[in-house]
Amino acid sequence: MTDAPAVPAAKPRVRWPLSLIVGATLTAVVLATALLALVWTPYDVESVDIAAKLTAPSAAHWMGTDHFGRDVLSMIMAGAQNSLIVAFVAVGIGVGIGTPLGLTAAARGGWVDELVMRGNDLIFAFPALLLAVMITAVMGPGAINAVIAIGVFNIPVFTRVARGAAQGLWTREYVLAARTAGKSRALISIQHILPNLMSLLVVQAAIQFAVGIVAEAGLSYVGLGAQPPAPSWGRMLAEAQTMIGFAPWLAIMPGLAIFVTVLGLSLTGDGLRDLFDPRVRRER
Amino acid sequence: MKRGLGRKAWNRLGRTLAAAALLVGLTVFAPAHEAQAQAPRDRLVLGLPLEPPNLDPTSGAAAAVDEVVYANVFEGLTRLTQNGAVAPSLAETWEAAPDGLTWTFHLRRGVTFSDGAPFDASVAKFSLDRITAEGSTNAQKALFAPIQSVEVVDPATLRIRLSRPMATLPYVLAWGDAVMVSPRSAATNAVTPVGTGPFKLQGWQRGSQLTLVRRDGYWGTPPRLNTVVFRFISDPTAAFAAVSAGDVDAFPNYPAPENVAQFQRDPRFRVVVGASEGKVILGINNTKVPFNDVRVRRALSYAIDRDALIQGAMFGFGQPIGSHYSRQAPGYVDLTGLYPHDPARARRLLAEAGYPNGIDVTLRLPPRPYARRSGEVLISQLAQAGIRAKIENLEWAQWLDQVFKRRQFDLTIVEHVEPMDYDIYGRKDYYFGYDNPAFDALLAQVNAAPDEPTRNRLLGDLQRRIADDAVNGFLFQSSRIGVWKADVNGLWINGPIAANDVTGAGWTGAGAAASASAERASGGLPWGWISLIAGVALLAFVAWRFGAAWLLKKLGGHALTLLAATAVIFLLLQVVPGDPASYMMGLNASPESIAALRQQMGLEGSGLERYFVWLGDLLTGKFGTSYTYQVPVGGLIAERLAVSAPLALMATVLSLIVALPIGVTAASRRGTAVDTGLIGVTQVGVALPNFWIAMLLILLFSVNLGWFSAGGFPGWSQGFWPAFKALILPAVALAAPQAAILARVLRTALLDTMNEDYVRTARAKGLSVNQALWRHALRNAWIPVLTILGLQFPFLLAGGIIIENVFSLPGLGRLVFQAITQRDLIVVQSVVVVLVFAVVLVSFLIDLAYLFADPRLRGRRA
Repeated sequence: MTDAPAVPAAKPRVRWPLSLIVGATLTAVVLATALLALVWTPYDVESVDIAAKLTAPSAAHWMGTDHFGRDVLSMIMAGAQNSLIVAFVAVGIGVGIGTPLGLTAAARGGWVDELVMRGNDLIFAFPALLLAVMITAVMGPGAINAVIAIGVFNIPVFTRVARGAAQGLWTREYVLAARTAGKSRALISIQHILPNLMSLLVVQAAIQFAVGIVAEAGLSYVGLGAQPPAPSWGRMLAEAQTMIGFAPWLAIMPGLAIFVTVLGLSLTGDGLRDLFDPRVRRER
Repeated sequence: MKRGLGRKAWNRLGRTLAAAALLVGLTVFAPAHEAQAQAPRDRLVLGLPLEPPNLDPTSGAAAAVDEVVYANVFEGLTRLTQNGAVAPSLAETWEAAPDGLTWTFHLRRGVTFSDGAPFDASVAKFSLDRITAEGSTNAQKALFAPIQSVEVVDPATLRIRLSRPMATLPYVLAWGDAVMVSPRSAATNAVTPVGTGPFKLQGWQRGSQLTLVRRDGYWGTPPRLNTVVFRFISDPTAAFAAVSAGDVDAFPNYPAPENVAQFQRDPRFRVVVGASEGKVILGINNTKVPFNDVRVRRALSYAIDRDALIQGAMFGFGQPIGSHYSRQAPGYVDLTGLYPHDPARARRLLAEAGYPNGIDVTLRLPPRPYARRSGEVLISQLAQAGIRAKIENLEWAQWLDQVFKRRQFDLTIVEHVEPMDYDIYGRKDYYFGYDNPAFDALLAQVNAAPDEPTRNRLLGDLQRRIADDAVNGFLFQSSRIGVWKADVNGLWINGPIAANDVTGAGWTGAGAAASASAERASGGLPWGWISLIAGVALLAFVAWRFGAAWLLKKLGGHALTLLAATAVIFLLLQVVPGDPASYMMGLNASPESIAALRQQMGLEGSGLERYFVWLGDLLTGKFGTSYTYQVPVGGLIAERLAVSAPLALMATVLSLIVALPIGVTAASRRGTAVDTGLIGVTQVGVALPNFWIAMLLILLFSVNLGWFSAGGFPGWSQGFWPAFKALILPAVALAAPQAAILARVLRTALLDTMNEDYVRTARAKGLSVNQALWRHALRNAWIPVLTILGLQFPFLLAGGIIIENVFSLPGLGRLVFQAITQRDLIVVQSVVVVLVFAVVLVSFLIDLAYLFADPRLRGRRA
């Protein structure tokens, strides 16, 4: 960023990137829906009403009903919680473990760095979904195990981001100054390096959040995510498959929900990057 | 574009595109001449929901084995007809002595096995002795326990002595577990079945299909069909797609009742609904508090609304049952009225039993659709009666291990497919743990019944006893839904046992059998050697160009990663719950049989020992032997790679073709509306989960337009085009998000290089943005693009897990997924190692590509 060329001085105010506005709006809608579902859904999510099964979208059921007569809209609303929580906690695992690892690797260098990065390569070497499937197969299906399986893959992502950027920062003058002042490496990492990484981490977190939503849907789709009767978008899709010929709404609605959520989050990530990184902003 | 200045860049791009076009062209058009011959009328393709783990019906209880080989490949002394009656097979007649203890069977003469070995009474003795022998792996060993001795009177006469009367002997001899096997081939029947039936095995592509072919020298009426292909399609959607697309001619046990109405309306198909022996029950752990109290069990029975359950879970296909007894079995009594649906009464009973506030229970479900769907309906019914049930979904192997073997459950739902299996209520070690001396006495009386009427009366008492004690909740008898092409006939409508007898099947109006289409041998180039030589040559070149030290360091690092990966995988899988042996033996297996099988499968050694054996196998390329398929894993993986590798390649090429113009256009129009629009498109692409795209593609192109078959893979042996066509939709679904990512990476990389000093210098010299882009940026932007492509390839190779499931493709991802559910750990381990190897190999190649592409990096070798 030091090599940023002279920007016309007449534009000091922040220009909010369009992607951030759209993304944040979509994300807010999804979040609000998930929160609303905590207290209210149009119908009881678990109640089975065989008489009303497989009705197409109508005024009574905006998104139709499934093969048990459950209201699809209610299930999607309630399913939002599951998707969001799983992906969010998985990001938390990634940030919580990956960032310190990356900072340490950058601060210590040498064999510590080598060890951390080798471990990273090892995890990266596994096709992500495959290992997630293996982990859930070992520990049994369920939302918590899905969180762990997805979280494991977020660790090397954040390690890499933190280490890469921290390595650059360690050569900066103010860090060298802190070194000569006798501060420990750990202290410098926390006081000087980490704050400068925040924007990068936030951007990455938004992206991994989106990735986590898709991963959770994938695991649920193959039956390894949240277990019934807890509603889950991925499982709704899996169940919709056989009925796609005569009840296409069952396949379309949950997919749309995933799509909107992922789109919102990844637009937010992009927008944040544009906001934080003047270089990219200049490109626009 | 200014004339002249961009010519070189254009040439380079032109060459790239030409190469890509050539590649696509080759794959599309080269084998166009292999036009598919018209399907002969002596060939039938059957869809089956489950693939057999092996083909030996006398070892292990997988019903899927009988579904393929019963009556077709293997025959017993007696056989069952499709109505459940006992009929002569290799025994022409039989009679019992008045005491009911000695039976004489008169055998058919001139019968041979498909390998030419003769069949006579000594072979029959061998087959029967084998069932009851010490260390036998026969899953129904207990059923044949009354057999005391088997004697050869003469080559055509066999005498069986029993320890207690067993009126059902001719019936149990008709089971698949009692088929006749030759001493010469008994040990290898799992892989190469040799029986006396009219068909023999021609080929088996695991995970996909199995082919039987008519043999010469069969003793009976030769079947009308020459070739029968069993295609394994477990996913209900894929089954639907395969039937609609005409990929299968008949699906005798169609797994998705919700589609039946559609097929009934369609004149191309015939829907036949027959009875099966499948009794779906709510299994109750009778040994556990509070279910040891009959009042609680009765409360459960009152809470069940069978009709709503059958409507909701099975779309009406099923018939209510009131006891553990199928409606067409002899001596059936209707007990469905014993516990009418009455939640209030259930609550009262619970209160009487000391649970006025209801009870909390877990309902642990195996992975079949009938169980999962019944479970979801059932919990809302139970809730009305104050029984708060929590569902836990298990995989089949977990279910067998935890519920069936260890009895770790409150409630479960499972289908019992064995006919006349009331004896399980007399087994104290059985999973629901029923123990009532009154029942045992009844059971003994039934076994000793002197005549049919007495026996039937006693069987009625038996059913009443079970229902009265409310041992389990009795839900429904499942229907056998067959969907056939309208001109297929002669298949079984009912399913008295799990079998697909195709000996009488054929096509309406099919005249003289067309000549069998010769299966093309899948020879070709020795790819293993070619890639080995190419690899060595590449390494030698790299060592010469960049120094051996660099190469060794890199290779050493990668080797370490691989080794660590093998250890991680092995450790991870050591903790997997579930026992492969009990998975293969099925529901009725005895503990000894399971132990014997474990021994056979080499599961007894210590962990460390097995790790090193496996590591050794990896190095030799053998990869060990699959537990379930009992063939070398290396071969399985190679078979699957023939699907996954082309699919991944197609997806890669496709994503490149889409991403290249988008990325370049967006970069060159940076900041314009075009750029914003294209970025928006890629945003959408990234946000679309590929399996959802897959479903939408199926909806559009298979269900609505009918252009593509939505599931299954015909195999490359069926000609290039059908196989290629089956991969198109999956490739598109896989490629779409990848293309979006790639386009974004390309755009960013192009813009980044545009900021490099040398590009700015070029700009300063007067090149336009476009010229600089084409001449300098694109060339350098290849590196990150290559990196992403390289990283994506192994992902695509495995990332098929879900896509391959959606489309029922027999690829690597599906192999792993199936292997995990079947507890075939050695397959899981090996496939994951192969994929990790692919990742490592690709990252090494990317390192090399960097060296070649970026002259600045080359300086570092000094």
